[in-house]
Amino acid sequence: MQVVSAVGEAFNNIVLHGYAGRKEGSIDLRIQTRRSHIRIELRDWGSGFDPTGVPTPAFETLPESGLGLFIMQSFMEMAYRLGRPNLLTLSKRYVDRSSAARKSEGAT
Amino acid sequence: MRFEIKNASGVTNLAIEGELDAVSVSDLRPDLEKLVKGRPSLVEVDLSSLRMVDSSGVGALVSLYKRVRAQGGSVVIKGLRDQPLAIFRLLRLDRVMLNADGRTPPPAHKQSKSRH
Repeated sequence: MQVVSAVGEAFNNIVLHGYAGRKEGSIDLRIQTRRSHIRIELRDWGSGFDPTGVPTPAFETLPESGLGLFIMQSFMEMAYRLGRPNLLTLSKRYVDRSSAARKSEGAT
Repeated sequence: MRFEIKNASGVTNLAIEGELDAVSVSDLRPDLEKLVKGRPSLVEVDLSSLRMVDSSGVGALVSLYKRVRAQGGSVVIKGLRDQPLAIFRLLRLDRVMLNADGRTPPPAHKQSKSRH
């Protein structure tokens, strides 16, 4: 759920802002999965942005925009490189429940 | 995404189903605009069949909430669960939008990661 939400925000961010005003644009999406890790790279050739310049939403004011980046960064680790192409990397580690269960069983 | 707006006994009911995202929200916005212009006194938003919401969808619901309340009306959001509930909690909207009218949100689930 968190990965789907974060990647959806990333994709929409590129379409709505990176390629704003354009009829077409390309997004290169690469997904790498491991037992305990998922890494997703989105490359685009649109306008980039500086994620460090985006303030944390002022929740007390009930903001209606500027929430997408916060969702991305809350649900996954995020890295961004401005360039041609721009590269947005989202990654997340999972707890390996089966090995955690085995360790737990071994400890008892 | 599908939605339905009904008026009954002075209450405006808005039910949204499916996925409310950056694409589908454009179908909803014109009707939200009409709804707000009608100066409703009470809007009940049923999100029990909403499967996914993104920041654009949340933005539309927050806008509805703020505008109706600015006109002196009230908005009750009910039925939030799963991903939409997690998003509302992450964005701290549950504290304001779900409690403002005395509705108690369901028990909290732990977020695996959240900013404070």
